Amino acid sequence: MKFIRKVLIAFAAMIVLYFLQSCSQNFPLDKDLTLKSYKLLNQDSVDVSFPSIIKNKITVMGFIYTHCPDICPMTTHNIQLVQDELDKEGIENINYVLLSFDPGRDKPEVLKKFAELRDIDFNKWSLLTGENDVVSNLIRRFEVTVIFTDSTYSDDGELAYSVMHTDRIALIDQDSKLRKYYKGSTANISELVNDVKRLGD
Amino acid sequence: MKFLLAVFLILFISGNEIVVKDQWLRPGAEKMATALYFTVENNSNEADTLYSIESDVSKMVQLHETYSNGSVMGMREIGQIVIEPGEKIELEPGGKHVMVMKLKKDLKIGDKIDFKLHFRKAGEIKITAEVKD
Repeated sequence: MKFIRKVLIAFAAMIVLYFLQSCSQNFPLDKDLTLKSYKLLNQDSVDVSFPSIIKNKITVMGFIYTHCPDICPMTTHNIQLVQDELDKEGIENINYVLLSFDPGRDKPEVLKKFAELRDIDFNKWSLLTGENDVVSNLIRRFEVTVIFTDSTYSDDGELAYSVMHTDRIALIDQDSKLRKYYKGSTANISELVNDVKRLGD
Repeated sequence: MKFLLAVFLILFISGNEIVVKDQWLRPGAEKMATALYFTVENNSNEADTLYSIESDVSKMVQLHETYSNGSVMGMREIGQIVIEPGEKIELEPGGKHVMVMKLKKDLKIGDKIDFKLHFRKAGEIKITAEVKD
């Protein structure tokens, strides 16, 4: 009888371990973002503090610059697809955030125009920019690398440059803990939607 | 007369040797950049080269490709695209694309924008691309 009990306890422990391991595989990160605060501006030039603005909600966050014609619009579009799917399922209590890593050009009004052209809903979305050093420190928390390249002045005297950057979407939980990264431009929408739902369970 | 008719029929049946289709571009704000995508097919027996693109909607248009270098993504100008006989090349998000820079106006979803594509052999081909996301 004792032997059977021991076997059952061992079996239960294995199930718990398997469950915990599965959870950590789904969400490989557990970085507390509340340890430091960052002063930023949103698309309406309103001062906001990160991560206070995402407090108590699951957040899907992308890293972009608006002069990017290809990768960053794909990342933005993918987050919009995630929102479409979640909205369809009635899951609406989600933050969608885009942080520009090119604050020199991406002023609030530029971000607002970028969003308006894509019919982005400002009730759920925040587009953020800020001082160079603040943005640099913040993107470092997300392990986003940015390399400014090919600086030149065009014929009309404007400074032109392109940016090499990490292609990233981040998933943050309700406790402002960073939980998972995805490749922004080619993110698997179903995976992201399911992960948001799992965090919400 | 029969000879002329045969020539006419061959030309008619063979159709366009360079075919550009499925063209579209993303929204973009005035002074900013966007990307044009399309598929180009070479139905001829010789290679052709797409070497320049024009549009009244922007001050600068270049052929680019997106590439990855380790963990970061970047873009570079590629100058031209050679389409081999029978080849189909897709300019698509995350790959080769036309970078439309310094837009003269906002491009909104549903807008239709004209472009002139210049090929070494096929010459100029005009297309109209719809803005969508």
